Amino acid sequence: MDNPIFIGKVLHDFDQLSSTNEYATELLSKSNPAEGTVISTYNQQAGRGQIGSSWESAPNRNISLSVILYPNFLQPTQQFELNKAISLAVRSFLAKNLSAEVFIKWPNDIYVQDKKIAGILIQNSITSNNIKSSVVGIGINVNQKFFETAPNATSLSAQTNNFFDLNTLRLELFAALEYYYLKLKSGSFSNLNTIYLERLLNYNNEALYEDVQGERFLGTIVGVDDLGKILIVINGEKRSFNIKEIQLIQ
Amino acid sequence: MTFKEIQDLIKLVNKSGLTEFKMKDGDFTVSIRTKSFSEAPIIQTGPAMMPVQNHLPPAQAAAPPVAAPVTAPAAAKEEAKDDNAGYLEIKSPIVGTFYRSPSPDKEPFLKVGDMVNAGDTVCIVEAMKLFNEIESEVSGKVVKVVIDDASPCEYDQVLFLVDPKG
Repeated sequence: MDNPIFIGKVLHDFDQLSSTNEYATELLSKSNPAEGTVISTYNQQAGRGQIGSSWESAPNRNISLSVILYPNFLQPTQQFELNKAISLAVRSFLAKNLSAEVFIKWPNDIYVQDKKIAGILIQNSITSNNIKSSVVGIGINVNQKFFETAPNATSLSAQTNNFFDLNTLRLELFAALEYYYLKLKSGSFSNLNTIYLERLLNYNNEALYEDVQGERFLGTIVGVDDLGKILIVINGEKRSFNIKEIQLIQ
Repeated sequence: MTFKEIQDLIKLVNKSGLTEFKMKDGDFTVSIRTKSFSEAPIIQTGPAMMPVQNHLPPAQAAAPPVAAPVTAPAAAKEEAKDDNAGYLEIKSPIVGTFYRSPSPDKEPFLKVGDMVNAGDTVCIVEAMKLFNEIESEVSGKVVKVVIDDASPCEYDQVLFLVDPKG
């Protein structure tokens, strides 16, 4: 992967920040930041996961950053394509630094074995015609070895026993993001879908799931639909599930 | 009272679930009874059963609904059906979950009565963990939030009604 050209060219670096996504959203509302502008801190204090959940990060050990993109070439209904590109970028960047296998847990968590190593939070601004702007928030556990509130978490350091230089890693991440974003921009949707499925946890493997009613069943992931719903074959029947409708048990 | 005001009043009474409504303003009185009061809705205007037309400028007098008590039942039905007439719709461009505020502890982006401008963020629709701020393409005053917070929304579903006249 070549050196990044536009991602990270404009870099707002903070010793500490409550939330890089919040800062990026604010910046977008007040100005027209260049595509690829990055808001970054190694000390994020109020990182966010999904609505209502938080992201634990010890100071100066991990990467928290947000990238501002303008994927105007995507219709609102095509936004899962952006999710595929970003997830693949973060996964491939991590895989280069680890010997263990790295998976995307649908829709966009990054896992090493059964532990989460990175999270993605994408916030778009959309109209009926297209995606006007995107704030792609990425949190990567790097040199933090112990997690108090997130027992399910791991880091590059916990996996390898090495200490990583955050600035070097960040540049590698920018390069991976740029590579996959340009692939997306060139319209290689079917190619991205193929690689996304190859890297998807439990793709073509039978696993145990639980639905919202608490019912457990064995199923096999066979794909994702255009909207990003997961397609699972259960007892020979293909069904699609929304994010809140299903949970992987093991 | 203008024709428009009477129209709004009928809408309001229809929506409120009231069975009867009477109002007096100077020598002008209006009385509205809905279906649930007596089988057929009765709309009477006064004083002394004087037709409403007399209170209106000639151009508006030609407008059909609420013309006379005889045609009132049909007019009232028409009103209910055409509830959104004249209002602009803000629709969801995607399938997802509708959220009125940026996060649970924050104020809603829009409340009934607020002014909205084209380009303003009106809500968030979450789809597969992607959070979408929906931009309004219309301007005006919010008259109705059509769907409940944190409920699922379909593609092209109406989320807000906006009165362009403010």
